[in-house]
Amino acid sequence: MTQPLYEVRDVSKSYGSVIALSGVSLKIHAGEVIGLVGDNGAGKSTLVKVLSGAHQPSEGTVILEGTERKWNSPHDALVAGVETLYQDSGLAPHLSVSANVFLGRERYVKGLLGKLGFLAQKEMDRVAHENLDRVGIAVPQSNRSVSQLSGGQRQAVAIGRAVSWASKVIILDEPTNHLGARQAGEVLSVIKAAKERGLGVIFISHTLPHVLQVTDRIVVLRLGKIVADAPTSTFDAESLLGTITGLID
Amino acid sequence: MSNLVNRAKSIAGNQQALLLLVLIAMIAFFTSRNSIFFSNAVFGNIISDWAPIVLIAIGETFVIISGGIDLSVGSTVAISGVVAAFSMRSLTEHGHGSTQTLIVGFFVSVATGILVGAINAFLITKTNVVPFIATLVTMGAGSGLAIVFTGGGPIGGGPDAAIQLSVPKVGPFSYPGLAIVALVIVLGFFLHKARFGRYIYAIGSNEFAARAAGINTKAYLAKIYILSGALAGMAGYYYYLRLGCGAPTSGLGGELQAIAAVVIGGAALSGGEGRISGTVLGALILTTVTSGLIIINVAANWKQVVVAILIAAAVLLQEARAKGSSSKLLSNLFKKKN
Repeated sequence: MTQPLYEVRDVSKSYGSVIALSGVSLKIHAGEVIGLVGDNGAGKSTLVKVLSGAHQPSEGTVILEGTERKWNSPHDALVAGVETLYQDSGLAPHLSVSANVFLGRERYVKGLLGKLGFLAQKEMDRVAHENLDRVGIAVPQSNRSVSQLSGGQRQAVAIGRAVSWASKVIILDEPTNHLGARQAGEVLSVIKAAKERGLGVIFISHTLPHVLQVTDRIVVLRLGKIVADAPTSTFDAESLLGTITGLID
Repeated sequence: MSNLVNRAKSIAGNQQALLLLVLIAMIAFFTSRNSIFFSNAVFGNIISDWAPIVLIAIGETFVIISGGIDLSVGSTVAISGVVAAFSMRSLTEHGHGSTQTLIVGFFVSVATGILVGAINAFLITKTNVVPFIATLVTMGAGSGLAIVFTGGGPIGGGPDAAIQLSVPKVGPFSYPGLAIVALVIVLGFFLHKARFGRYIYAIGSNEFAARAAGINTKAYLAKIYILSGALAGMAGYYYYLRLGCGAPTSGLGGELQAIAAVVIGGAALSGGEGRISGTVLGALILTTVTSGLIIINVAANWKQVVVAILIAAAVLLQEARAKGSSSKLLSNLFKKKN
């Protein structure tokens, strides 16, 4: 078996006396989409925070491409190729599409002005458009302000940004929330495209039909523990719901 | 409906053009009431009033775009002018030349401003006091100390050459006035074309997203409060040059004028929005109103009423702009579906 791309091993996380995760192990391979599901309070958000570098686990290890890593911030993980799209955190609405795509990764003009931080705006507008296009997202103009976009388009830009920068792993926390059927469909095809590019995709969602449709493997969390980790083909809507709620063990 | 959309759109795109129009209308109005208004002397006076206001208003623009507020700029003008005045008096008494004294005075004034800005930055980024409260504290402390240090009166005894510097030399501009214009242009480029400004907009627009993108938001916030303090220190020095002394009343109410200029210029107090050119014009409109009302013999207190109306108009415009963009969005959606 090939080496997993990204892995957490025996991870536990507690906040004071509250145990949010206990002994969770998870592997993801390149070109694999895993669905992470669970009821509210099951520990999904905590696991996402550990995976994305926002929180450090109380116990256990985080391993990227066989090397143990310690993320001090989401930025550390981002630099290493682990990109996270947070639920509803999204974008800076007053900035343009390209400014959002390049936020924190700006390109500068050449020479002294570039050293002073002057931005190569035209280049970023062009490349942002290319990048979004490449991952399958059509955005009218990349110099438009995000506040002028519809909710679906904003979400598309947020996902496009995360997917286009991710070099290894992409974590999508509820990316289809608040989206109409057509837009959700577009998000799912972006996920498939990311898989084709060889990224590892971690897809967190409450919308079980989406999870069943797009993932290769489903990991179910309940009360801070993994209660199921199996290929998607072994689940149907009913058995998945049963596993999440604990009616099926 | 499309007519309304178009109107809202043109307003949204041309805040600066609109401000320029208001300014020209004001100049025309004041000139028609008293032709003396249209003279180099009056314009010189307006620019002299404008220069220190625009300095603190530019600092306030950076702060407001980041989603914060700086109430301390007026007090900082006073305290830095006073501290600089003491230092220049002492240097003059010890027989130092006026050029040397004026240069030292400038740096003392700016350093005092930076100190106040650094206290604001510390309170906001290290102790997590909200900007309104943090700068309210330094505002009170600054103006209180300025009065305590001086006993309430002006501090003179500095170089006599100071006041010469504030005389208009190039059209309505004095040399310090020209320096301020140059500084404002440079800061405009940093706000609108460089990383520094980009990150400040990002922080004011969505601080969480900015942090998630790896931006050290606290470091940037600290920098802008220090910048705001430094600019207030420069304004304090400018008042010293104009008056030939450091007065604890210089800059009194400056924070409100700065905020008014920024809001008239089209910035939103909720952050993420605003432009240097808007603030420059907003400050110019404020000082034009002040001079104009005096020249056409209207009681000075009317100025506050006029300023209040201008602020209300600017805020209503902003509201219209927000609506404009949402209806534009709607019309776009419909277009796509058909």
